[in-house]
Amino acid sequence: METLQPISQLAITYFLVTNPIGNSPTILALVKDFDFKRQKQIMLREGFFALIIALVFQFFGEYILKLLHVDVFSLTLCGGILLFLVALGMIFPDNDPKKPHEFKQEPFFVPIATPLLSGPGLMTIIMLTAASEQNSIKITGAILLAWTGVLAVMIAAPYLQRILGRRGLVALEQVMGLILTLIAIEMILKGAGAFVKTLS
Amino acid sequence: MSLTLTLILFLIMDPLGNVSSYLKMVSGLDPKKQHYIVIREMLIALAAMIIFNYLGEFIFSQLQITPVTVRVASGVILFLIALKILFPSPTSLRANLPKEEPFIVPLAIPLIAGPSLLATIMLYAHTEPSQMTMLTSILIAWAAAVIVLLFSEQLQHTLGSNGLMACERLMGMILVLLGIQRFLEGIALFIPLYCHQT
Repeated sequence: METLQPISQLAITYFLVTNPIGNSPTILALVKDFDFKRQKQIMLREGFFALIIALVFQFFGEYILKLLHVDVFSLTLCGGILLFLVALGMIFPDNDPKKPHEFKQEPFFVPIATPLLSGPGLMTIIMLTAASEQNSIKITGAILLAWTGVLAVMIAAPYLQRILGRRGLVALEQVMGLILTLIAIEMILKGAGAFVKTLS
Repeated sequence: MSLTLTLILFLIMDPLGNVSSYLKMVSGLDPKKQHYIVIREMLIALAAMIIFNYLGEFIFSQLQITPVTVRVASGVILFLIALKILFPSPTSLRANLPKEEPFIVPLAIPLIAGPSLLATIMLYAHTEPSQMTMLTSILIAWAAAVIVLLFSEQLQHTLGSNGLMACERLMGMILVLLGIQRFLEGIALFIPLYCHQT
């Protein structure tokens, strides 16, 4: 029983950092132009991508960062800037009538899988716990456990559309854009703060 | 050779992203001819890279550009290139390709050795102390890109176009990271410089 406690604790931490419940309205707003079935497929696909990223970072995260000579604060800053750009696009949608609508690209890998779900926060936490925990199977188990929750939320998210309707979704996009801006700036400031600390 | 430099050059060449456009261009030609085209185009691209390597060395030493400038500038450029990979626009070059056999344009230049790659090479040529490192890095990155393009059909087959896109995005992410890291390194160099003067 003793090993069960940390696993669930780790899983809950990962689940909370991934924040699927908070993120699902944002994600839904990003995929609002696609039909219901397609949305579900996108959700599932992005969820799996995020899982793969999490697992890769558990085993090779530190190694990858060292190989690229990238510091952790760059990772945070990077996630923040990318999210900020996505958020700007949500708040000020590109309503150019000249552009045919079907050209709108499906979100693929960026920004849903990363940095929304498997963002720099999750990567850092996974790397930290993987470094301190000897038993890597436990962490993998925790990630998988967290992901059953994440995927369940993701798949449930398209049903939100039925409640909100099309106009509700458009409004949601702007509101979520605002919230995403806040999250993004928070990340940017965190990264910048860590960077400034290394200077002095 | 410098591993980071090789990686950066490889990522900017973005061979995985070019696979689908390349396949679209050469579809219908027989495989032998396709390989011939790849090698010819890649050799042209390599020549352009090496020319710009020496050109960059020359120009930047004339302009007396400091390492700080180079770092910040290359960071910004890498970041913008990566953004193009991460959020492709429908009006980009890759979206409306001519469907004919490529000769120099568009495969060699600008899809492989585009302005961004050449600019990056010029910038790095200036900071890299030994020309040997620079040339081997270019060669290794180039060889890797050639291999990817030679096996493009098989890659497309095993990964599918979605898999290829995922790989490309992943590379874009790495490039963004490297760009920001370079930029921060530049700032970290710049701040002590400024503090000493005042």
